[in-house]
Amino acid sequence: MRKISLRSILLYLALAFGAAVMLFPFLWTVITSITPQGNLSDGPSLIVDNPTLAAYTELFDSIPLPRIIINSFFIAILSTLLQLITGSLAAYAFSRFEFKGKQFVFGCYLATLMIPLQVLVAPLFIMLTKMQLNDSYFALLAPNIASAFGIFLLKQSIDGVPRELDEAARIDGAGHLRIWAQVVMPLTKPAMAALIVFAFMESWNSFLWPLVVIRSPELMTLPLGLSYLQGQFTTEWNVVMAGSVVSIVPIVIVYLFAQKHIIAGMAHTGLK
Amino acid sequence: MKKPPRRTALFACSVLVIAGLVAGCSQGSATNPDSKPSQSGGTTQTIVRYMNFSSNDGHEADLQAIITAFESENPDIKIQVETVPYADYAAKLLTAVSGGAEADTFELEYASFISYAKSGALADISGIDTSAYTPSLIKAYQFDGKQYALPESFSNVVLFYNKDLFDAAQLDYPINSWTWADEQAAAEKLTDKEKGIWGDYQPISYNEYYKAVAQAGGQFLNADSSATAFNSAAGIKAVEWLTDKSGTTMPTDADGANTPDFDTNLFTSGKLAMWHTGIWMFGTVADKAPNMNWDIVVEPGDTQKASAMFSNAVAVSAKSKVQDAAKKWLAYYTASQKTIDTRLAKSWELPPVADQSKLDTYLTLTPPANREAVFESLNAVALAPVVVKQQEMQDIINDELAAVSAGRISAQDAVKNMQTKIDPLLK
Amino acid sequence: MNTETTAKTSQLESLHRTSQRKKAIKNAIWVLAFLAPSAIPLLIFKIIPMFASAWVSLHEWNMIAPMEWAGFGNYTRLLTSSDTWAVFGHTLLYIAGYLPLVYGGGLLIAVALNQKLKARGFLRAAYFVPVVTSWVAVALVWQWLLNPKNGLINYLLSLVNLPQPGWWTDPTWAIPSVILASAWKDLGFVMVILLAGLQAIPQEIQEAAAVDGAGRWRRFWNITFPLLTPSTFFVVVISLINGFQVFDQVYVMTGGGPSGASRVVVSRIYDLAFRYGEAGAASALSWILFAFILGITAVQMYGQRKWVNYA
Repeated sequence: MRKISLRSILLYLALAFGAAVMLFPFLWTVITSITPQGNLSDGPSLIVDNPTLAAYTELFDSIPLPRIIINSFFIAILSTLLQLITGSLAAYAFSRFEFKGKQFVFGCYLATLMIPLQVLVAPLFIMLTKMQLNDSYFALLAPNIASAFGIFLLKQSIDGVPRELDEAARIDGAGHLRIWAQVVMPLTKPAMAALIVFAFMESWNSFLWPLVVIRSPELMTLPLGLSYLQGQFTTEWNVVMAGSVVSIVPIVIVYLFAQKHIIAGMAHTGLK
Repeated sequence: MKKPPRRTALFACSVLVIAGLVAGCSQGSATNPDSKPSQSGGTTQTIVRYMNFSSNDGHEADLQAIITAFESENPDIKIQVETVPYADYAAKLLTAVSGGAEADTFELEYASFISYAKSGALADISGIDTSAYTPSLIKAYQFDGKQYALPESFSNVVLFYNKDLFDAAQLDYPINSWTWADEQAAAEKLTDKEKGIWGDYQPISYNEYYKAVAQAGGQFLNADSSATAFNSAAGIKAVEWLTDKSGTTMPTDADGANTPDFDTNLFTSGKLAMWHTGIWMFGTVADKAPNMNWDIVVEPGDTQKASAMFSNAVAVSAKSKVQDAAKKWLAYYTASQKTIDTRLAKSWELPPVADQSKLDTYLTLTPPANREAVFESLNAVALAPVVVKQQEMQDIINDELAAVSAGRISAQDAVKNMQTKIDPLLK
Repeated sequence: MNTETTAKTSQLESLHRTSQRKKAIKNAIWVLAFLAPSAIPLLIFKIIPMFASAWVSLHEWNMIAPMEWAGFGNYTRLLTSSDTWAVFGHTLLYIAGYLPLVYGGGLLIAVALNQKLKARGFLRAAYFVPVVTSWVAVALVWQWLLNPKNGLINYLLSLVNLPQPGWWTDPTWAIPSVILASAWKDLGFVMVILLAGLQAIPQEIQEAAAVDGAGRWRRFWNITFPLLTPSTFFVVVISLINGFQVFDQVYVMTGGGPSGASRVVVSRIYDLAFRYGEAGAASALSWILFAFILGITAVQMYGQRKWVNYA
């Protein structure tokens, strides 16, 4: 039996209070979505008089939601996979190889994060249009095939993997590819799991680029589809919030899935 | 042990990635439509792309009905619609034009027409028959003596009022001849902060300001539009008219003003007596408050009447390869009987036709009962200033007006600041 | 030294050199193989558009008409404009408030949730939910919490007799309002990264220290925190890069107001590009911003040797 200390009671209280504060806007989103003619200007309330799922049926009627969700999943999963592969390879190179101009190359990678997307969309759009690749899945994917963010995240993690483990594998006759796949990758699982969450989220929520590059309804992604719910003069906020709930749930699921690995990461390190 | 499944998973992943990349390269239906020769006539169909914002969120079926009617009259033309929500339309159109990928025909707001026309993005459609349109609207879309767009619809701003609240306060209903002073006096009597009832709501923004300047008898720009002219007694009075209400008869930001749909909800929940807004709100108010008694009048003026009018237009892209079909479509879409009927029946703004008798059915619809006010407002219109740096000018004015309404600067200073910042934009 | 040995050494040296060169070539091939999958897409879809935007920044361009050469006109105009310095000031103020809050808060939560707790999985998920909640809902809740008239926060302040600011309706308090909402929303992001970092710290080290009688606080400062520096470094670098490009939260919370008091650099870039028809100036401002971010990141990269512990 663990004794229950005052400290742990206080800790639980603080954490529970924090969690309530954190969940509140999401709860409010859910509540607005089941409120008939929900409106936002009255401020949040936690009581619903006549809860209804009408907003969700209307959501499905107003936009081709199943197709849109499939598109979003397809692009998000693909770009997450690509970022994991391209990212962990590059991170391995930056962490384990010595070569001339390494700092400079790494700097160039990071530099790609330093220009606001707002001024890149037009040049990128013009380029893809000339290549006749605009308005395609590939166009949606293109800016997210590799991300310096992910490479940096993984590099920090690989830097923390003791080099003795590489050496041991090398003595066993392993080449770089095997060390990467069988030594480094499993040991950086927590960081990879974090990257899965962020890469998925980035693609899932991306708006400006899909807006610019997509014009066929069948290629639309979720944020683009949801933007159609906002009228020029008035908006049915319960439907918008229903859309918001629909778009949040998949990321939470991805997070819950990845979270297991963020925690389980330790079990496989072999450092026990 | 665990290796085979991992390898299979890795293999499956790479197959998925490669397949995805390859399959992902094909363009969507809006870019690569199947332009098979139509079986019935044996001729090739011309596809005309049309991009718009105004059908989004409620009028998609109405636009489709007009298209269907047009296509049955012109079997050799097929209209392919792309609808983009209003909030994102400007960015979408701009990048599309920059990449040369814009639709053959597209919708434009009056405020952005001039920069597209001036930059050579619009085709000259001067030959088109314009006799059916309201002359002032036709003129609005000319540049350098050439016709660059066709008016598509117009709408204006009137004063909405809640009859029940006027009855409760034992006040006479507003009439067309009201002035600012009448409105002000009524608003003060109607406001009951205890009950959360407000007398008046008018956005403190550029669109209200240029109109208020005209209502106060002033000019917004000088005669040749080379400088601002609102640094005058009328211009200052207009600022005060808009900003003095805030916090006295009109809710402030802290009361919730400027949150999404705040004014709409306030009016439809019976807590707002008078509301300056556009006729596009008729349908929403009728839907949300079916049991409320309300009507409209022409907006009160000060020394003179002046109402705001907004219009949208449609233009042909200068780069379009199907100019003739595009012009045919736009002519039909703006002024055909089908369009007029559809717009009037569905309260989808007003068609830009000169023949007022064609709009008669609009007057018979209720609520509101006094729809004549919509047309009476057109007798004195404050035309929106035509400025290439439109958005920049609007932002400057909105910033200064907000500062006055929050009591940070005086109306005089605001007008002076606006002048010094806007004059260089007009050069 | 006699000539024979010299010749021998030089022969050996050249042999050594060729083998070294072979090794170097092999090494270079490996480096290329590992970098190419990321370098090629980044080059095509990021760096080429970046160069294009640098080219655009030397022109007058409204994205509709053809570009007109302007040399460094956009840069001189921006650098001498008070608007530019105002938006940079607001952005720096934002970062100064945001970074300590989000890092401190994220660290606290990560450490708290790294212990053995009941309902740990649920708590970790709960603290992550704001990261994915839409900004529209978050902004409205915070506007309501920070309402100067009847908001919860001012009510609490009034209970302890503290001044109650006008928050987002007051130009001085608009940026702090955005900071509070953003830091709150991003806590989960920092938590996830730091949790991943904490997970990589072997338990034995902690346990060994505990056996040695080190208190919680000392264990944290002497063991956990130093081993967490690579993650901390990542959070700081990325938060600065992202913080300089803050936009969404300002757009939905204050719209840059009141009267432009919370307009940040990217708001200005967005306005110039998509609303004012000055894509050239927008690109130039982006490159000025780039120079800022690059400089600060370079200083951090250089300085990391002094405080970041790698294995």
